[in-house]
Amino acid sequence: MKPHRIGIIGVGQTKYVTRRDDVILPELAREAAVIALEDAGIEFKDIDAIVFSLALDALEGVEGAEKWCAGTVGGFRKPFLRVHTGGATGGSAVHTGFFHIASGLFNCVLVLGAEKMGETHEAQNVLNQIFDPIYERQVAINAVNMCSFQAMRHMKKYGTTEYHLALVAVRSRKNALRNPYAHIKKEITVEEVLNSRVICYPLKLYDCCPRSTGACAVVMASERFIRKLNKRDVAWIKGVASCTNTYFMGDRMDDSGINDHADAEGLFLAAKRAYEMAGISDPKKEIEVAEIYAPFTTTELSAVEALGFCEKGESGISNERGVFDIDGKIPVNPSGGVLTANPISVTALARVAEAALQVMGKAEERQVEKARTAVATGEGGSLQFYTVTVLSDEM
Amino acid sequence: MKVAIIGVGQTSYGNKKHQSIDELVFEATKKALDDSGLEREEIESVVTAGSDALDGRGISNMVIAGGSGAYLKDEVKVADGGIYGLILGYLRVASGVFDNSLIVSWTKSSEVSTDLVSNLSFEPLYLRSCGLNSITSLALQTSTYIGRADVKDEDAAKVVLKNRENGLKNPLSHPLQKPSIKEINSSRFVSYPLRESYLPPESDGACALVIASKKRAKSLKKNCAWILGLGWVIDEYYAGDLIVETRHGVSLPLLKRSSEMAYKMAGVENPISEIDVAEVSDVTPYHEMMIYEALGFCRDREGKVLIRDGTTKMGGGLPVNPSGGILSSNPIFTSSLVRVAEGALQVMRKAGKRQVKNAKVALAQGFTGMSTQGSCVVILGS
Amino acid sequence: MKDDLIFIAQRWDIEFKHAAGETASTFFKAIMQRREILGRLCPKCKRVLLPPRSFCERCFVETSEWVKVGGEGKIQSFTIVYEKFEGLPPPPYAIAYVLLDGASTAMVNFVKGLDLNNLDQAIKKIKIGAKVKVAFKRKREGRITDFWYELV
Repeated sequence: MKPHRIGIIGVGQTKYVTRRDDVILPELAREAAVIALEDAGIEFKDIDAIVFSLALDALEGVEGAEKWCAGTVGGFRKPFLRVHTGGATGGSAVHTGFFHIASGLFNCVLVLGAEKMGETHEAQNVLNQIFDPIYERQVAINAVNMCSFQAMRHMKKYGTTEYHLALVAVRSRKNALRNPYAHIKKEITVEEVLNSRVICYPLKLYDCCPRSTGACAVVMASERFIRKLNKRDVAWIKGVASCTNTYFMGDRMDDSGINDHADAEGLFLAAKRAYEMAGISDPKKEIEVAEIYAPFTTTELSAVEALGFCEKGESGISNERGVFDIDGKIPVNPSGGVLTANPISVTALARVAEAALQVMGKAEERQVEKARTAVATGEGGSLQFYTVTVLSDEM
Repeated sequence: MKVAIIGVGQTSYGNKKHQSIDELVFEATKKALDDSGLEREEIESVVTAGSDALDGRGISNMVIAGGSGAYLKDEVKVADGGIYGLILGYLRVASGVFDNSLIVSWTKSSEVSTDLVSNLSFEPLYLRSCGLNSITSLALQTSTYIGRADVKDEDAAKVVLKNRENGLKNPLSHPLQKPSIKEINSSRFVSYPLRESYLPPESDGACALVIASKKRAKSLKKNCAWILGLGWVIDEYYAGDLIVETRHGVSLPLLKRSSEMAYKMAGVENPISEIDVAEVSDVTPYHEMMIYEALGFCRDREGKVLIRDGTTKMGGGLPVNPSGGILSSNPIFTSSLVRVAEGALQVMRKAGKRQVKNAKVALAQGFTGMSTQGSCVVILGS
Repeated sequence: MKDDLIFIAQRWDIEFKHAAGETASTFFKAIMQRREILGRLCPKCKRVLLPPRSFCERCFVETSEWVKVGGEGKIQSFTIVYEKFEGLPPPPYAIAYVLLDGASTAMVNFVKGLDLNNLDQAIKKIKIGAKVKVAFKRKREGRITDFWYELV
């Protein structure tokens, strides 16, 4: 297989907030599109196809809400496709944009989405409905406690503590102060995290993400298109891969330790595939910044291990040592990450957008020095769907 | 890069209350794998296509993961009709990143009111409270068409009869009786001008395909269906914009656009003579006639002529819907992938009693959204 | 306009009748009629699947043999919920994944009979690895909530 030369040439995000009552969903999506097109230096007419990133229809209150948005975001009589893998949707959307171009059929694709979950009365009620109505839903599982199960197993298996979880929250909040798009911009201390009220033990209020409203867009293009445009700031896509795990989390909880719910095996496999495609053999050395989909502190701990940034079980201690701080060895979530903004439909897309800004050198105050290779992840379902995207400033 | 369909798997269509949704999916996927000769271990990519709202699940591919063969595979879901799964599968394999892919779509509408779900597809500000659902919006589109194309009730009845007669030869069809013209013409109006007899049944069912790169497909040394052309576009959401345009223009302008895209890619210049068989989305009999026009099988407003002169019957110049079409079996979200599956069976010469003789080029067509907002065309060759 | 915007209240109220299928129906009937928990054996990898499924997603073969699993098992993971979530029960409540004796996969359900008002006290008792037994509702109706776990 010849290597694909496909890059991100434009990024657009709205500020993530609790609600946006001044616009409807299509208008919100268009805001991000307009910014991304301007950043790329192109117009709607230059777009060959659109990939729409939209997760749970029930959170928007409109079934197939992407069709409502299609015309408003420039899709009129153009190829238009929506993907949905829960929280991983944005990652899947970027990969789908990549495959549009890699197939040879298209040169320039707009990948975008919007989230208005602020309009639902109770998001966790909707998220309970992702679980099986026959065997699991009535046992009150939701997106919070599915991660509590992960935290409990990680703590048992590796001796991770609530203090380690708190360190992740503190770092994310601190980084978010540098990000003009972040939803939560308030620093917290370890003590405040540990003393915040218990939601689903061991996860406390400050271990959890907010529910956010906002939109994100990226413009992806072929080498030919980029050359013609004479574009210099490009985040080249070096590797894309995803992995789907079992639906029932209990299948990942036997005593064998294989494919364990503590370990994000799906992310490990997706990363392995994406690294291979990108020619990365030692992620510890070669990845210079990471934007990880971690809506709960515990998710990030399992993720950095699965991505090969530290050994299994060592994420807690690595956090103590500041390995993932913005000036550390492998800065994680310099944007503040999902703990400071979670507009579900575009959260994973925002991870790619932020990673792209880093390798383009356009991340402003949150710029990681000399970040030339970045990884962005997505996670959806019952810690079930994982996407990994590797980006670089080099073609 | 060339990509071929190398395996087809379908459940039968009808009420599947004895099966849970993942069991239904497993059945179709297993059949497709068996037909392709590939083991699950060899599969590199899985594309699923389903509707959360119809399934009553927030992220419907969660439960489907196991049955669709996706365990620890690179899987993605299009939240759209099954034919869009094929499109994404094609893009993934054509990129060279994957050697092959499963495409899996399912529908279990017997568990829910589809009228209620389709009403929720209309946004809550201007449309949802105005009596719109999938049927009433199709009726609005149809009445515009009747007005401008001078189509008769009898023409619609003939489409229904043709497809339902074809469906009787398809062992997978939703179990239905053969209706008489009189029964069809005297059935009540559900939403004028659509009679009850003009509407498809609601079926449960699943359909799966295995597609592969040229290298893999050739190595199998068996009949396969080559994907020669693809076209898909979306139209304006607000159907009112379109109805104004359609009154003065052509039927289904978006389908015309997507067929042009597919024809160009496949090198089809004269569809009526180059295409041997078509499987289209006859969501109503009137739509089948509109589709003829948009696909260029005839001139604008002349869809009725192809029905009157028997061109699209079995044995005619261009048989349309030998499987019986959607009027015979309608697993709503999956119906468009069934069109591709049936088109593939035709060019693979595996369509049994519904086989069109010497079928070398097949066209499959699907819609998505309300009032056929999105449209897709796939050209397959032997 | 900023302070004078219109809001349209809507509800999604869709009723579903999910088919449990023959496999899950057999599982629920065994609970209703005989207070038994049944798993399904994969003929290839020999895992006993709980909840039971009619096929093994790993081996991609159908399963057919039922295996009765033990009424006791070990907690593999748990949580105690202190937050009120719309549509979910009033807190506090405990949920755990339990590997029942003879099963290869863990099954989730409520853990009852434990005072949860004091978290520190509660987590001294409920732990990963702790033994639990299955307890059945007196009036069973073919639902996963027909049974729950209790610490032994």
